[in-house]
Amino acid sequence: MSVKKGLIKKDLYNLSSYKTSLIIVFICMCILGTSNSTMMNYIPIIMATMSGMIALSTFSYDEIAKSNTYVLTLPTNKKEVIISKYILVISISLVGAIIGFLITPIIIQVMNAIKQENLLSVDWNDLLITTLGGIFGIALIESIQIPSIYKWGPEKGRIQMFILIFILILIIAGAAYLFIQAGFSEYLNAIETFLQSFGIPLLLIVTITLYYISYKVSCRIYLKQD
Amino acid sequence: MKNSIEIKNVSKKYPGFALKNINFCVPEGTIVGLIGENGAGKTTTIKALLNIISSLGDIQVLGKNIRKHEKEIKQDIGVVLDNSFLSEYLTTKKLNTIMKDFYNNWDEKKYMYYIKEFQLPENQLIKEFSSGMKMKLKIAIAISHHPKLLILDEPTSGLDPIVRNEILEIFRKYIEEDETRAILISSHITSDLEHISDYIVLIDKGEIKLDKATTELLENYGIVKCSKEDFEKIKIEDYISYRAGKYQYEVLVADKYEFRRKYDISVIDRPTIEDIMLFYIKGGKA
Repeated sequence: MSVKKGLIKKDLYNLSSYKTSLIIVFICMCILGTSNSTMMNYIPIIMATMSGMIALSTFSYDEIAKSNTYVLTLPTNKKEVIISKYILVISISLVGAIIGFLITPIIIQVMNAIKQENLLSVDWNDLLITTLGGIFGIALIESIQIPSIYKWGPEKGRIQMFILIFILILIIAGAAYLFIQAGFSEYLNAIETFLQSFGIPLLLIVTITLYYISYKVSCRIYLKQD
Repeated sequence: MKNSIEIKNVSKKYPGFALKNINFCVPEGTIVGLIGENGAGKTTTIKALLNIISSLGDIQVLGKNIRKHEKEIKQDIGVVLDNSFLSEYLTTKKLNTIMKDFYNNWDEKKYMYYIKEFQLPENQLIKEFSSGMKMKLKIAIAISHHPKLLILDEPTSGLDPIVRNEILEIFRKYIEEDETRAILISSHITSDLEHISDYIVLIDKGEIKLDKATTELLENYGIVKCSKEDFEKIKIEDYISYRAGKYQYEVLVADKYEFRRKYDISVIDRPTIEDIMLFYIKGGKA
């Protein structure tokens, strides 16, 4: 674990240069929130996505310093390098989502103090769903982008990721179209009831599965790479 | 004498380039210089040696197979790469906390001593360092966990003569501290190796062309300078390669004393390692 700690520390130190940007974004979000109350619901999504994207930028730092080669001269191996990256990326995204979850009620309190004529209340259920939605969204992006980066590098990997996401959207839209065409739309209510009961655990299972598949694909790519 | 590195029949194929059955060793207590043109295969050899790239053949480092005992071996070696490092956005202090996690034997006191000795700032980002300072930092990291072996890829490239000399002095001290230590140093600046290396290994187009003691190369090898007529009298087995100039021929011979006994040619110069490298790579053979 100690070596992985070293690898994660290296990335966290790299990211510490983002401190100022993070504070600025946070202030911007508060301003946006005070001007538009509907934005409140999206804070956890924005925070999770932003944190995840920041974590992914560590790959660019590695490319600039060509650190992938240097790291492999240290007492570690490619598998540990991959595991450390996933731990870092997942942790930062989770922390972002949790911060988003925690600051939303605070921002609402601040807004209520400023605009007393239009009091807002915290919808905890909605907040939980948007937080989990944010985690799932960034998990989807990360689980596609990390193997893409290992395969094509951070620059090309980003383009390939957008292509993959576009294909994914096409597949989902196509499946939805076929679903309606096949006359299954009458089951929509049943599906909605199912999602209300099992949506959260299902989302968690899908998120974990996405990361697991992504990790396996990354290993397969990076371990073969010279 | 034990070998710190033993490379036997190591091959690696890339489109357009291949390492072809590389064989050489680095004995304990010695500095071995790996020389060759840019793109000759020096870095590929080092990457194969460190198991960064896959390769065929047998590689033993500190008496163990690198593929089977990679992490264990890497605890005992220090590596410096010319154009690759952890990050430019770190400070020497932060590097210390990172390296503690990697090496079981990380010696914080020794590291801080080197940082002071090399006059490196503690809280300044590495990206603001000069090339010489960056290289000194890489060396400080490579030797602060008491490694038994140093593997250095182009450690003096792009540095001015004063810094190069300081760096070579560090390597000299490191090897003098313990006679079981060893250094493999790759460089295309052959003059540096002339002063510190015990053996020279020349690699060209992925093949080992020469593996000899430095003293033998500098003392026994010679560059014969002669006319075309005299050159034509020299038997093919008595020289390594030649270069035809406008007014004279230059011929590299492996034993200048033997050559002098055989031929009536008196002008034989002492070669530098660079001369020898050029003759092996660019020279012709009748």
